[in-house]
Amino acid sequence: MLIELLIAVCLLGAVGVFLLPDRYAPRLSFGISVVAIAVSLYMFSAFDGAGNALLEGGKLAFETNAHWLSLGPYDLSWHVGLDGISMPLIVLSTILTSLAILSAWTPINERKSQFYGLMLLLEGSLIGVFGALDFFVWFIFWEAVLVPMYFLIGVWGGPRRKYAAIKFFVYTNVASLVMFVGFFLLVMGAGVTSLGLPELAQQLATGSVSSVGGLSPQQVKVAAFFAMFAGFAVKVPVVPVHTWLPDAHVEAPTPVSVILAGVLLKMGTYALLRFNFTLLPEVAADFALVLVAIAVVSVIYGALLALAQQDLKRIVAYSSVSSMGYVILGLVAFNLYGLGGATFQMISHGLISGLLFLCVGVIYNTTHTRMVGDMSGLADRMPITAGAMVAGSFAYMGLPLMSGFVAEFMVFSGGFSATFPHAQLLTAIAMFGIVIVAGYYLFAMQRTLFGSFRVATDYEITRAQPHDIAPLVVLIVLIIALGSAPELIFGMIQDAVTPMTELTHTQHAAMGSMELRDVVSTIGGVVR
Amino acid sequence: MAGPLEFAPAIAALPFVSFVIALFFGRYMPKKGALAGITATGGSLLLAVWTYFAVMGNGEPHTEHLHTLVSVAEPFSLELGILIDQLSALMLLIVTLISFLVFVFSLGYMNDEGETGLPRYYAGLSLFSFSMLSFVMASNLFMAFMFFELVGLCSYLLIGFWFREDAPPSAAKKAFIVTRFGDYFFLIGVVGILATFGTSAFIGTGGTESFPALAEHALTGSADHVHTFGFDPQTWFTILALLVLGGVMGKSAQFPLHTWLPDAMEGPTPVSALIHAATMVAAGVYLVARMYGFYALSPTALAIIAFVGGFTALFAATMGVVKREIKQVLAYSTISQYGYMMLALGAGGYVAGVFHLTTHAVFKALLFLGAGAVIVAMHHDEDMWKMGGLKNELPVTYYTFLAGSLALAGIIPFSGFWSKDEVLYEALRLGLNDPVFMAAYAMGLIAVFFTGFYTFRMVFLTFHGEPRTNIAESPHQYGWNMKAPLVVLGALAVVVGLINMAPLAKLTGMDLTYLHHWFEHGGELLTVEHYHHLLTEVSGVHHVESSTGLMLGSGALSLGLALAGVAVAHVLYNVPSPEEHTDKLGSIKTVLFNNYYQDEYQVWLAEGLTANVARAANTFDQGVIDGAVNGVSSVSLFAGERVRKVQTGVVTNYAALLTAGLVVLLVAMGLLGGWF
Repeated sequence: MLIELLIAVCLLGAVGVFLLPDRYAPRLSFGISVVAIAVSLYMFSAFDGAGNALLEGGKLAFETNAHWLSLGPYDLSWHVGLDGISMPLIVLSTILTSLAILSAWTPINERKSQFYGLMLLLEGSLIGVFGALDFFVWFIFWEAVLVPMYFLIGVWGGPRRKYAAIKFFVYTNVASLVMFVGFFLLVMGAGVTSLGLPELAQQLATGSVSSVGGLSPQQVKVAAFFAMFAGFAVKVPVVPVHTWLPDAHVEAPTPVSVILAGVLLKMGTYALLRFNFTLLPEVAADFALVLVAIAVVSVIYGALLALAQQDLKRIVAYSSVSSMGYVILGLVAFNLYGLGGATFQMISHGLISGLLFLCVGVIYNTTHTRMVGDMSGLADRMPITAGAMVAGSFAYMGLPLMSGFVAEFMVFSGGFSATFPHAQLLTAIAMFGIVIVAGYYLFAMQRTLFGSFRVATDYEITRAQPHDIAPLVVLIVLIIALGSAPELIFGMIQDAVTPMTELTHTQHAAMGSMELRDVVSTIGGVVR
Repeated sequence: MAGPLEFAPAIAALPFVSFVIALFFGRYMPKKGALAGITATGGSLLLAVWTYFAVMGNGEPHTEHLHTLVSVAEPFSLELGILIDQLSALMLLIVTLISFLVFVFSLGYMNDEGETGLPRYYAGLSLFSFSMLSFVMASNLFMAFMFFELVGLCSYLLIGFWFREDAPPSAAKKAFIVTRFGDYFFLIGVVGILATFGTSAFIGTGGTESFPALAEHALTGSADHVHTFGFDPQTWFTILALLVLGGVMGKSAQFPLHTWLPDAMEGPTPVSALIHAATMVAAGVYLVARMYGFYALSPTALAIIAFVGGFTALFAATMGVVKREIKQVLAYSTISQYGYMMLALGAGGYVAGVFHLTTHAVFKALLFLGAGAVIVAMHHDEDMWKMGGLKNELPVTYYTFLAGSLALAGIIPFSGFWSKDEVLYEALRLGLNDPVFMAAYAMGLIAVFFTGFYTFRMVFLTFHGEPRTNIAESPHQYGWNMKAPLVVLGALAVVVGLINMAPLAKLTGMDLTYLHHWFEHGGELLTVEHYHHLLTEVSGVHHVESSTGLMLGSGALSLGLALAGVAVAHVLYNVPSPEEHTDKLGSIKTVLFNNYYQDEYQVWLAEGLTANVARAANTFDQGVIDGAVNGVSSVSLFAGERVRKVQTGVVTNYAALLTAGLVVLLVAMGLLGGWF
């Protein structure tokens, strides 16, 4: 019942914060989020799950599975539970939300109870997404995330907040629709009556898929895979469906950016891992080259875009596109280091991008600008923030003993040993991202932090408050802890992804020439 | 296992403690963290000496597992461990000694000069010592890569120590990016080696074999458990060796990745001495030596190493001839000298390469610290043309600097003579069999002349003649804390060559090649004999037979060239008022002064090309991709008027929008589910 408790803490807390006057909201919401951290850390320490949540032999931690209602032919269950993939993501969500709330104390000055209430609502929904194992329950939380996020960007955002919020909302909602269609295609093909993900996975692993409409079984799988992939790809995001991200980040208030980059993007990669790569691994293997091409393009193209930016937030936003490309690469590699490294990268990137957004936020609160050209020599007046930004930048560059290095090294090792064609060459190309990332972060640091002190905007540079600094310190400690002792979470991650790697044993090795033909015929089938 | 080696991890751990102390408590301490650093590196030095003697008495390498980063059953775990053998014990001694002396010297150079930000300085220096010592002790390539990157971070932080100025942060950035470019290849190499062999251990322990041993087996017969990804093993191992070499060339500043090192002189001079001369730059060369059992298997890689090394030695030496700043001369000299070490290792001269690494660490640290003393005396002016006549005012600096210069120029009996002679001799012996190595040897030999010339041009301009400025007439004096390290290193620069006097041994028949014998012991697969076996039996690399005549001829030739260089410098610059003879070189001087325009094309690659590609990508992204997205949405969902209506900010509109979205989804679900 602990997952329900965690969600209840957030949702009831949100209601409480909504109802009370503004002046209580910052401290109350922070207190509630700390309670959530405590619960999630207790769950982390008491975690007794084993194996993968969806696959045979998986033992879920904190599981509840109760019949809820029947809808048409389908039985819906309240089914929640955690395995080694979702557990760390839940801890990440609670910690980042709490730090984001703390970092909002300085910049958020109006409609506070609504802001902090929405933050807690967001947290509760995110926990639901990572905890749910029934599609219906999962989908409710998945959509519920959009609502607070939409308002947080649209009400407290920058000058173009309306545009960014609507773009975010429409883009991701259309994506949800596509994904939804894909999922139901698969459900009908598999012929299950339960919307539980483990049941569907079992059915797909053991039974055969029947044809739906004019689609052959193979076409059903391929169409479902790509519809779901398209839906999740928007959330990740990968090139070319990434353009909502920089707009959303630039307009969102910094605490919201922290959650957006730190946790929301992981919804996409988590869903890819759970749905596409666990339910349809053979389709993923068939189309490995297409997927890895998307990953490589995301890495390099995202990094090049980051290089061209002048707004610090846009730099971090585009670099996220690049980093998420590594997650996709790891997933496609589909071996222990690929899948494990991808999952580890989700956590690691959450911490590191959170740290960098927080640094940008502190700088913005003080200088009221984020443009690289508007400032220089900040290290002179803001030594601690500058130090944290140096730490965050080097973490992003994959400095050893920080979490990013371990994550990237595992992904690269996985990619290098993968079985898709030209795995070594494609991985090596993706690895060039580590050079470009050094380019843009070092460039940004040199321009903003070093040199003689100058700020174009006319504000007095004041010392940052302890509540601004504390989140930075916490994140740096966590990044170094995970970088020097990855086993803190990698043990459970490994436990959960290992059963997935065994799925490949039954895969057929059809590669290359059949891909294009298959895509064409599938599209043809859908059109008919 | 003997007692002292149990304490080996402390050699690296002590500087880490001083890093933490300096970082968090430095500002409350009397010398701002210097004392913690001195104590820690002093302790490390004592432990390193102890370790050295333990290894000497023991012979067997000491391995120890420290920490498992990632533990998996398949395909390989990521582990940290230490390996203490003849090579790492020697390197530990070098690094701890120079670190300790640099910390002491910094008391004079930084504290006494009233610098601010000292806790940051000492924290950075301590973190560097920790990282470098950990790199040296690394028992596997993965761990070596980790600390290879961390020393790069320390280098970045210390080059950019004076961050309020414009040039140091820029130089720091350049250093990191250029070395990162090399490390990109290194990282592929590490990943590739792990994927190929399932291990990156330098030495086999407890039934598992090291990756060089597995590679050797693969070439000599049984290629079990080695995945070469469809390549012929020999080809694949060469590719891996060259990938790792990318990192080596970046760190050890080999052409064309040498451009960061002269810029790195923007850092404080003690940092230049420690990091950018004696130790971190040596990391690349050390790595080749550390995995020599792997490089020895690839004749192609060896030839490339030798050729790049020989070329770099000559190329950098010519640029050193025209520089005006004392640290710039030393920087190009450093690049050139590391070229010699690469030449030696490429030419199969394992002992010669490590020997030159050792002597160079001593005499180049000495020269940099001497230059630091001169810079303090000159009130932080580095231009040699403003100096002159300093030898009477600064006798301690002059005589120690002279000892270092004689060593660098390779004048008998100073240390540099013995090691450089052995490098060239090894290259010559191979060159007589193979024209590629002959070309590399020839470049190294010509560079000897330039080395003698630029070294003594520097000495004469700085210390001889008449003072050319008021400051040079009455330079600033400094204390024991700067003189003591100079005296220690000055004495060592004279004598350290005595550890391997091969020509004298040949001539007298006495047993004087101590360093050679040192490397005959240790792990079975880490000895110089084994490397020789690999070179001759597996790679088919053969030196011509060593003979007294050849050895003495080679030595006399290089000594003669060095003396000729010194003599030319003497004629041109050892006069009361020297002129800028470099102007006579005409356009050649311009080319040399601009470093063969190496910086220009690299800056163009980084800023001209890449930045423009990035801008083009950004325009494409904003215009085409995002344009398409906006186009689709404005046509279908929110045409003209309606967009504005949606954006009115009325909450009910949003709620309606959300509801509509969910309804659409539910209807779709219903249709697909067949409820209707």
